[in-house]
Amino acid sequence: MPELDVIIHQPVRLRIMAALTSLGPREQVDFGYLREKLGLTDGNLGSHLRALEDAGYVVVEKTFVERRPKTFLTVSPAGRKAFGTHVAALQAIIKPG
Amino acid sequence: MLPQITPADAAAALAEVETARTAMRRAVRAHRGHYHLWIWGGIWIVMPLSVTLWGEEAARFFGWICAAGWVASMIVGATQCRQIRSSDAGRFSAPLVVVLAFGAIYPFVLRAQPDFRHLYAYIGLVFMQWYVIAGLWMDSYLLWLGLAVTVLILVGLFVFPGIFWLWMAVFGGGSLVLTGFYVRHFWR
Repeated sequence: MPELDVIIHQPVRLRIMAALTSLGPREQVDFGYLREKLGLTDGNLGSHLRALEDAGYVVVEKTFVERRPKTFLTVSPAGRKAFGTHVAALQAIIKPG
Repeated sequence: MLPQITPADAAAALAEVETARTAMRRAVRAHRGHYHLWIWGGIWIVMPLSVTLWGEEAARFFGWICAAGWVASMIVGATQCRQIRSSDAGRFSAPLVVVLAFGAIYPFVLRAQPDFRHLYAYIGLVFMQWYVIAGLWMDSYLLWLGLAVTVLILVGLFVFPGIFWLWMAVFGGGSLVLTGFYVRHFWR
């Protein structure tokens, strides 16, 4: 039976992972754009991203676009797998067996 | 350590997942190629329609119209890349350069001096070749669009030469514009 992931289970991190796994494997989203889409604050998104990055679930890439700092985010293969397992575990709780 | 998760908690969590996924999918869809299809579909309607109305003299504005299209496409591309970017961008644009370069060479090698109608069809086919290649590598809608418009160009050129320009405006440009709407609202 799939198990819940203690890192992903936190509600904000769950939403972040759900959003990031909706991107294609070659796509990255801008930090500000994701913050806007999820209705979060800079600090809230930043702190949860750090936890996900530390777990190896999210890859954070800092770069410059037109001489302005930009942060692009994508989910790692491990993160995609962990999220899939977590969602399967949630589904198993609703429909056991 | 996770607290006990009830089926209600799990259902609420899954609902949150679906909401976040829907929001991001909508955002991703907004970054698909529909703006480019609308820009070039519009141009592919305007150019042959102007020939239908004013004759081949209208072609002297084609360069300016296409230049405006390239500028608009570049602005759209640059704006979109600031929000969601893809490492496929190079795979998308590099074949365009190759296809256009070879497409420009062929007529010289063949010493071809096509009339305006055949030249317009040829240029259209070169671009559709790019759509097909990009479709094989990336989004398959480009493949089907490229193949469909290729057939439509050939049919217009050889089966309906008398209404070629109107045919190209309706089926060439129209196909791009309609595909843009399909991609915007239904793709993925």
